[in-house]
Amino acid sequence: MRAPRLLFLGTAGALALTACSGGESVDTGNGGGSSGGDNTLVAAVSAQPDQFDPHVTSAYPSFQVLENVYDTLVVPNPEDLTMEPSLATDWETSDDGLTWTFTLRDDVTFHDGSEFDAADVVYSYDRIIDEELNNAYRFANVESVTAVDPTTVEIQVSQPTPNLPALIGGFKGMAILPEGAAEEYDLTTEAVGTGPFTLESSDAGSTELAAYEDYWGGAPSVDGVEFRYITEPAAALTALENGEVQWTDNVPPQQIESLEGNDQVELATTPSVDYWYMSMNYAREPFGNPAVRQAIATAIDRGAVTEAARFGAAEPNQTAIPEDSFFYSDYAPYDADPAAAEQLLQQAGVQTPISMGLMVTDEFPETVTAAQVIASQLEPIGIDVDVQTVDFATWLDRQSQGDFDAFLLGWLGNIDPFDYYHAQHITDGSSNYQGYSNPEVDRLLTAAASETDQDARKDLYDQAAQLIVDDASYVYLYNPDVVQAWAPGLSGYTIRPDKAINFEDVELP
Amino acid sequence: MLRRTGQSLVVLAGVSVIVFALVHLVPGDPVRLALGTRFSQESYDALQQRSGLDQPLLQQYFTWAGRALTGDLGVSFRSGEPVTGQILERLPATLTLAFAAIVVALLIAVPLGTISALRPRSLVDRGATVLSQIGISVPDFWMGIVLILVFAGTLGWLPSGGYVPLTEDPWGWFQRLIMPAVVTGVVSGSVITRFVRSSVLEALGQDHVRTARAKGLKARQVLSWHVLRNALLPLVTVTGVQLAYLLSGVVVVEIVFSWPGLGQLALQAVQARDYPVLQGAVLLFALVFLLVNLVVDLLYSRLDPRIARR
Repeated sequence: MRAPRLLFLGTAGALALTACSGGESVDTGNGGGSSGGDNTLVAAVSAQPDQFDPHVTSAYPSFQVLENVYDTLVVPNPEDLTMEPSLATDWETSDDGLTWTFTLRDDVTFHDGSEFDAADVVYSYDRIIDEELNNAYRFANVESVTAVDPTTVEIQVSQPTPNLPALIGGFKGMAILPEGAAEEYDLTTEAVGTGPFTLESSDAGSTELAAYEDYWGGAPSVDGVEFRYITEPAAALTALENGEVQWTDNVPPQQIESLEGNDQVELATTPSVDYWYMSMNYAREPFGNPAVRQAIATAIDRGAVTEAARFGAAEPNQTAIPEDSFFYSDYAPYDADPAAAEQLLQQAGVQTPISMGLMVTDEFPETVTAAQVIASQLEPIGIDVDVQTVDFATWLDRQSQGDFDAFLLGWLGNIDPFDYYHAQHITDGSSNYQGYSNPEVDRLLTAAASETDQDARKDLYDQAAQLIVDDASYVYLYNPDVVQAWAPGLSGYTIRPDKAINFEDVELP
Repeated sequence: MLRRTGQSLVVLAGVSVIVFALVHLVPGDPVRLALGTRFSQESYDALQQRSGLDQPLLQQYFTWAGRALTGDLGVSFRSGEPVTGQILERLPATLTLAFAAIVVALLIAVPLGTISALRPRSLVDRGATVLSQIGISVPDFWMGIVLILVFAGTLGWLPSGGYVPLTEDPWGWFQRLIMPAVVTGVVSGSVITRFVRSSVLEALGQDHVRTARAKGLKARQVLSWHVLRNALLPLVTVTGVQLAYLLSGVVVVEIVFSWPGLGQLALQAVQARDYPVLQGAVLLFALVFLLVNLVVDLLYSRLDPRIARR
């Protein structure tokens, strides 16, 4: 019987080895350990950040953390997402709209102790532009960024760009780093921001932040934040209920109802700036025919789609922008009416049944459900929908190659109406995969992009949106709700429509 | 022994070609995925160049394989960090879980399988068959969630998941290990129970066992000396296979219990089309299989000298 003993010895040896080489442990400065100190907020998030370079990453789990570590010149107001001061106290545009002048705070220090000034802004923006990083498209109109003096930055644009504040403040991908940071630090694992928290450590289990005592907005009230990755929603909610964590955004919509009566959990929802839509390929008949698209838009019962895909945690919508926004357009010409839809198809003179492949991705399970509901709603009017579920990488490939009849997806994190409409519907727009082209829409969108008067701008976008809806360039479905939950008694936290999570003012129960 | 190792190396080289080809055959453009939905053509070209994806495939392979020989598995597209480091960071968690699960599996399988074989078609035997059938067919994510809801939720005895190194917090380490080890152990244990039962049955029917009995040896002596020793051979094989399988990362269990092991890493890499990480992880899995096979062969020759001389 020597062999089994050998096997067990091997086991013990491996366990011992494990113990010695165990992942780098973390000293949070208050006793260490992953449980953190008493005054540390533990937040359960569903995924690990891919990296911490704000200019390089495009992953939401990274921005959940970076939101608390970095600052931008301006930030969205948590309620209506209009831009308000952050590192810049003030800004103005020249009369021709081509020069933006930002006045900066003079009492800000980076986490490494260096002082913040205009040169840091120039360095950060030039880094994005010169290295052609993902966010370079946001600076498409920018000709130059110059430091006039330590507290003044001037941005020259090639044409009036009224949404410049939204472009540079919409999210932490436009964060300000200290001059030379990329040479001095390994920004994929280290962070040197000006935000309320410093990045202490990160491993495969969690990311830990510590309060930055010299934060220009005043030190946060908690000692730190630990982001713990819990992918499985049932585990995240259990952890919240038994006090292991105090906050989570890992709440699937189907749980909302059961959580509403649960006094161990405080539930919050708010309509988001995201929208979900269906679009068809103009190059494939009969979907190039507007009447066919209108028939489909008419046959869809958005309320039923919303109920099935989001368990009601969404606002059905026929345009892109949600109701709370200044730019909301109150336009909803389609009522779920199969008879009218059938008539439209007949008028168009198309032969039914039509078969339509509807491409969705399991990356967003709600799109799969929504597509199934839509398939059942289109069947009675003579459209056979084949729901094709692929993974996201394949989805993106097929979309860019135009290899689809129709697809269903969302646009996430929009702030300005430009984000909602421009690239998606202008002829040759970088996201116009459906192949839509309407000269009038082109004219309106182009004019709106450089219109500096807010009301005139809203009017232009309203007109464009109406045409887009009438032509069914996109068939809009709904704006989903942001759903988050936290421990009862937690205060100082605001749930935001753009899903940015900011723990600067949070206080534990 | 040398020949055996040489064979393994040839296999590993073949595997590296297949791994590389397969990973690149999977549809989906990693550059597009890394950039998200909004980006400019300039950023696309820049990233493609930075990650070497603009090179011919053959050249990409030789660059990768050449570096892999020195232990450098490249840099993750997603995080920009060395793949070798990422894998090594995850290895302790996976090793811990795999070995704990094997311990649980053997604790279940050896007694249950032996008793079943000694009393075939008895109540115990039938019960064991049903239990192992359940163990194999119940989805592990479901079992995991039930355990979480009961032991972390209702009873509040255990944390809902996560991982801490043994050195940092031995009690917390043990508490967090229990549920994932039980879930994975039950599945492996169910498989192994059946092997133990059939190999003990087979051993019982062999001539020398009958001889031993006829000599008047006590039942316990027959069992431990003649039966179990012979039954051990297949047990070593199946345990080896199960161990290799567990080491390659029990993806679902790692996700349910937020266990930061290799399975989680590999899944993230697949989703992000993170070629370097995916290639590194699959290559490591292949290496583990080959190593475990080698060890099993060595154990065989100790258990049965006839094999060693072959």
